[in-house]
Amino acid sequence: MTHLTMEGLLSLREAGLEPGAASAREHLEGCPACQAELDRLHQRVARIKALPALRPGRDRWPQTAARLRVARRARRQRVASLIGLAAAASIAAAVLVAPRGDAAGAGEQEIQAVMARSQALESALSQYHPEERMLDGRTAGIAQELEDRIAHVDRELEMADLLEHQSRNEQVLKLWRERVGLLDALVDVHVTRASNVGL
Amino acid sequence: MTGTRVMESYLLANAESVVARARAGEEAALEELYRAFEAPVYNLARRICRTTEDAEDVLQETFFEVCRSIGRYREEGSLWGWVRTIAASKALMRLRRNKYRDTDELQEDAVGHRREDTALRMDLEAALERLSETSRAVVWLHDVEGYTHEEIAGMMGKTPSFSKSQLARAHQRLRRWLGEEVEV
Repeated sequence: MTHLTMEGLLSLREAGLEPGAASAREHLEGCPACQAELDRLHQRVARIKALPALRPGRDRWPQTAARLRVARRARRQRVASLIGLAAAASIAAAVLVAPRGDAAGAGEQEIQAVMARSQALESALSQYHPEERMLDGRTAGIAQELEDRIAHVDRELEMADLLEHQSRNEQVLKLWRERVGLLDALVDVHVTRASNVGL
Repeated sequence: MTGTRVMESYLLANAESVVARARAGEEAALEELYRAFEAPVYNLARRICRTTEDAEDVLQETFFEVCRSIGRYREEGSLWGWVRTIAASKALMRLRRNKYRDTDELQEDAVGHRREDTALRMDLEAALERLSETSRAVVWLHDVEGYTHEEIAGMMGKTPSFSKSQLARAHQRLRRWLGEEVEV
């Protein structure tokens, strides 16, 4: 007597949809050995299902949350870059058409130069795809702090737009410089990490 | 109520409001999702992956994807079912990336013959560990998580026949290693 193969026994668990299941059932009804084998299969699966749940040895939420913040930050930076380009264009236009003293003109040019540096750094940072990388806890903490500080500077830049022209320029230049410094540090964090792991 | 819905209501009683808050980008809600599904996701990952480190990475990858894609979650399916499919895909991606499989199959064959010769009875956990990663993944996804061979084939980029033959082969080996063979 030819007994059912393991595939044949397994097909009996597939709600009668499998080809050959009908003949396998027919054989099973008259074969105690295959009935016993099917029972053992059911018991084995039940034992596998009853295995204790394995739990992670450490909490991975902090790293996951840090990575999410980096990704969100990168998205915001992409949007901010576009807005920054538009703002730079409008400042350049204002420099060309508005009559002003040399000091004020130099301020505008300096702002444009610092904004261009900021965009270059963001572009360099995006080449490392920080949102797709996993960070160890310490690096993630440093990156997160820098990103939070950059976000704070961005908010201050929005507020500075509301100031009077002369004090606005001084404040905007100071903030853009601060932003460039923070971005420099953030690029360093990611580039150093990438170099350390040979990426 | 389906099995995944029952499990979801057990894991996260207020799923609808948590999802709504998570979609709005509230980090506390994203953490609630993580805390609710952390254990079953890790268990699934650890049963498929070779090491705890791989499983922890899959856990992180899964929730990174869940948090980024929560806006695309369609509520007609269960939340746990959606999270679980992401976790299974990430775990299978990890297997492919690690390229363990080919050498692993050879090791498994060698172990299988040795065990057959010595007729040692193995513990179920040890026997599962001895399976190749692919076979173990198919056993877990089919027998425990309830995926069909078609669904497993889709996730693995293989055919349903591949999934069926992997399952049959795995059960033949488990039967032998667990000392369940009887003379007929």
